[in-house]
Amino acid sequence: MSEFEPKIVAFVCNWCTYAGADLTGTSRIKYATNVKIVRFPCTGRIDFMLLLKAFGEGADGIIISGCHPNDCHYTSGNFHARRRWVMFRGLMNFMGIDTRRVQFSWVSAAEGAKWAEIVNTTVDEVRELGPYTDYKKVADYLETEVTNG
Amino acid sequence: MSRIGVFVCHCGENISSTVDVEKVAQTAAGFDGVAYSVDYKYMCSDPGQSLIKQAIKDHNLTGVVVSACSPRMHEPTFRKACAEAGLNGYMCEMTNLREHCSWVHERTEETTEKAIDLVRMLVEKVKNDKPLEPIKVPIFKTALVIGGGIAGIQTSLDIANCGHKVILVEKEPSIGGHMSQLSETFPTLDCSQCILTPRMVEVAQHPNITLYTYSELESLEGYIGNFKAKIRKKAKSVDHSVCTGCGDCWTKCPSKKIPSEFNAGLDNRTAIYVPFPQAVPNKPVIDKDHCTYYQKGKCRLCEKNCKPGAIHFDLEDEIIEVEVGGIVVTTGFDVKGTDFFPEYGYGKYKDVITGLQFERLASASGPTLGEIKRPSDGKVPEKIVFIACAGSRDPAKGIDYCSKICCMYTAKHAMLYQHKVHTGKSYVFYMDIRAGGKNYEEFVRRAIEEDKVNYVRGRVSTVYEKNGKLIVKGADTLMNGQPVEIEADMVVLATAGVANCGSEELAQKLHVSYDRYKFFAEAHPKLKPVETNTAGIFLAGACQAPKDIPETVGMASGAAAKVAALFSQDELKREPLIAVVNRQMPPTFSSCVGCFLCETACPYRAIEREEIKDRAGNVIKTIAKVNDGLCQGCGTCVAFCRTKSIDIQGFTNEQMYSEVMALLND
Amino acid sequence: MVDVKKKAAELLSSEAVKVIIGYTEGTGGKPRAAFIQNVADVEKLIFNSQCVMNLAVYLTKAEIKKLGKPAIVAPVNVLRAIIQLAFEVQIQESDIVVLGITPDEKLVEFQSFAAIESYLEDFKMELDAKEKETLAKISGMSLEERWAYWTEELSECFKCYACRAACPMCYCHKCAVEQNKPQWIPVAAHQLGNMEWHIMRAMHLAGRCVNCDACHNACPKGINLNFLTKLMLADAQEQLGYTGPTLKEGNLLSTYNPNDQENFIK
Repeated sequence: MSEFEPKIVAFVCNWCTYAGADLTGTSRIKYATNVKIVRFPCTGRIDFMLLLKAFGEGADGIIISGCHPNDCHYTSGNFHARRRWVMFRGLMNFMGIDTRRVQFSWVSAAEGAKWAEIVNTTVDEVRELGPYTDYKKVADYLETEVTNG
Repeated sequence: MSRIGVFVCHCGENISSTVDVEKVAQTAAGFDGVAYSVDYKYMCSDPGQSLIKQAIKDHNLTGVVVSACSPRMHEPTFRKACAEAGLNGYMCEMTNLREHCSWVHERTEETTEKAIDLVRMLVEKVKNDKPLEPIKVPIFKTALVIGGGIAGIQTSLDIANCGHKVILVEKEPSIGGHMSQLSETFPTLDCSQCILTPRMVEVAQHPNITLYTYSELESLEGYIGNFKAKIRKKAKSVDHSVCTGCGDCWTKCPSKKIPSEFNAGLDNRTAIYVPFPQAVPNKPVIDKDHCTYYQKGKCRLCEKNCKPGAIHFDLEDEIIEVEVGGIVVTTGFDVKGTDFFPEYGYGKYKDVITGLQFERLASASGPTLGEIKRPSDGKVPEKIVFIACAGSRDPAKGIDYCSKICCMYTAKHAMLYQHKVHTGKSYVFYMDIRAGGKNYEEFVRRAIEEDKVNYVRGRVSTVYEKNGKLIVKGADTLMNGQPVEIEADMVVLATAGVANCGSEELAQKLHVSYDRYKFFAEAHPKLKPVETNTAGIFLAGACQAPKDIPETVGMASGAAAKVAALFSQDELKREPLIAVVNRQMPPTFSSCVGCFLCETACPYRAIEREEIKDRAGNVIKTIAKVNDGLCQGCGTCVAFCRTKSIDIQGFTNEQMYSEVMALLND
Repeated sequence: MVDVKKKAAELLSSEAVKVIIGYTEGTGGKPRAAFIQNVADVEKLIFNSQCVMNLAVYLTKAEIKKLGKPAIVAPVNVLRAIIQLAFEVQIQESDIVVLGITPDEKLVEFQSFAAIESYLEDFKMELDAKEKETLAKISGMSLEERWAYWTEELSECFKCYACRAACPMCYCHKCAVEQNKPQWIPVAAHQLGNMEWHIMRAMHLAGRCVNCDACHNACPKGINLNFLTKLMLADAQEQLGYTGPTLKEGNLLSTYNPNDQENFIK
């Protein structure tokens, strides 16, 4: 049996982390193929429901990343996002949703190397944790119900 | 039913060397809703774009996914190509197969699989794309320039000469800024006031320029093309329409001990004053904080001596509101005082002065009429030490950056000193000599070689007074760190140029960002050096970072060109990637319930209130409305809105939801 | 209660208000809401420790608004909800009369919402020892146990939305669960739909919940769903310095502090 390869989704802002990941590319720094990036205008735009949707669809880990504090292209979208994550993270944790699988980070447009490192460490950590089945099972229950009935 | 076209780019071999592009195109052809899929060597080339345009026509495509490089690079290119083929540009999205895939992974099956996943998710997003039209905003063709130094003067003149109205606001009683304080200028040694004052007069006389001196920006509302600025015109206590500028008032004023700002504290001025003889306007104001009448209720000597009767103590601050379409911020810089340096005596030694004070000593209009004399006893210094990088490039002082102008003006100071005091000896302690610029290096060489200025590479550890001399202790790092001790008569610190003390407050009024040193932040360090992150607000001069006169003037003209370009059109077209509040059929009209919690979530104050009325004109409810001139499209409100009533065009809930749901499909 | 009734009668007879929203005897010894429109019925008003439902929920309901200007009997929970509703522009000072009531049934009159806000300063919104104990108990479980606890707890839910109907803060005309473009929350009452409904509900109440337990009291299955919002309240207080409903600018999640916690961000 081959080693478990986690599926990682990254929700990133257009101005800092997306551009930072572009720089990782132009610098030809290699990282794991597991991650797929979804581009948002700003971390402030990232709806907490999308994290649940990603877990429901079988994501084993999620990276959320945007501009460093004070560097937000929209001046404060990242500050609003940070508050939202303080609250949402607490709630997920309280409900037994595995927050070790959600990596928040600030990656600027100049931090191509940091982006590669965030991806690689997240992939390693989630690989260590194994597949995330708890949430997906609940979601799959839906499919079974629907097809059966 | 969607008919999506997928166009997979090889990017020469940049993508195809690690991604099996044929396989990606073939797999994508099988995706639900994909009507056409192809790979090609260079999608961004003319033939590549033609291929897309042809396919849109031949296959009647409703959406396009270009799988190539970063959308940050070529999204506008491909959106334009689609539009040329009759497909709304916003129906085109890009998959980043190069920066986010081929360049960061090895050639493996996983890499191609990832590429396929990335294409799939964008296909799903495009299915939910909606055609969008650019937003048109009218432009009010008057510019506001804040700060009347050389940057503000140049910018105002350039904009005014393009035929547009300019409102120039200066907080001091006269325009001119720091440049009016300088003696000679490097690298030509021409007199600063001689080249500046004609420009100052031109500003005052220009029919397109309205000058408000002794005035400050009170508040700013609105957005590009449509700002509303409130300007506080501070009470001058002098009616300038009547005043002749004769000077009878200030010669009679009994408060004569106020350190002169213009002369950097080296001499005094009166409470009713004109900051310097060539001031524009050349009419006085009363400094209320130091006026005997305002402070103690008695005096009014100036009033008695004013023949035209121009003095009015009861004048009050006036706030005026102006409409402007574009703003240039030119508020300049400050220099650190000698009190910033414990190692050089905290400013308590009178003969330790700043570079700006030396300018005034060297200036023919200065307190010594251009003779270099010690502030303490008026003696001509026989030995003078210049210390470069006083504060600059010193993380311990919290100023990591290079103040940029000091190397040059220090060379100029030493040179001027040698020209004026032929028997004198001058020393310059420096870390590096930064003389990048036309004729700059030659200028410094001239100081060293022709004027025999002694350059010592090393830092000065301490300056202390002993027997009427200033003992300067340092090290010469070019002589193996050998200690150097100089008994000087005068020490000039090239103190760091720092952001203006009010810059943070002004930035907040303007909603522009600033860096950790409180200099205003440009929108892009290379490609948008005069823009700010707030559309319609531009920067020029040292308010962005320390810079010399030629650079400042260049930047000022650059900012003026940006304003002129903005004013060259009657309406502005903006990307429609902004938030909108949904509208529905009666009786709900909108799912917005009007809680307005989004108001504070918006960084741009773009949320307004809108009343929804029935046919009889009764208000049914009040809901949020996005001002499309102010909204910048961050989407913070979208993620925050409980009822999902606000959505952001280009990144709608449906688009992002379908993208995420497709991402993990096996 | 005498002075509350007296004031209510006065308000009705002078036509200062059209309806009194208060508590009255219900079936099975449980009080219910009363909407009194005649002076003669004022006597039916009661108040006791059983009166736990949050009457503020009616202030935003169209059926009640139709009756005309109301006066509302308001213990602390209701007062908190009034302040939050006022902040969220759902009620105006001129639209209602607030009859504050102390635990020993004394009438407290208010001239303004600001007066309510300062009155509430003496009633800090804090979790009691028992609530804290339950929170600690759940938080103290292992990750797997917490997940098992909540999936079990929420499997009881059959999405009757009584919690939503009872909550004074759930006044939206169209709740997010009814948005179907996209369908964020699956409609059916299966585990995923239940889980996501309750997570979203808790998030939407962050910094808005007045901790009145109306949701829990209304739940026919007795689900501990109020502990999700209690957790949010505790977190908001501890980590973001939240103190409770206020008329001042900004909501917990629509404002920020540049120094907010970020030890979880790389």
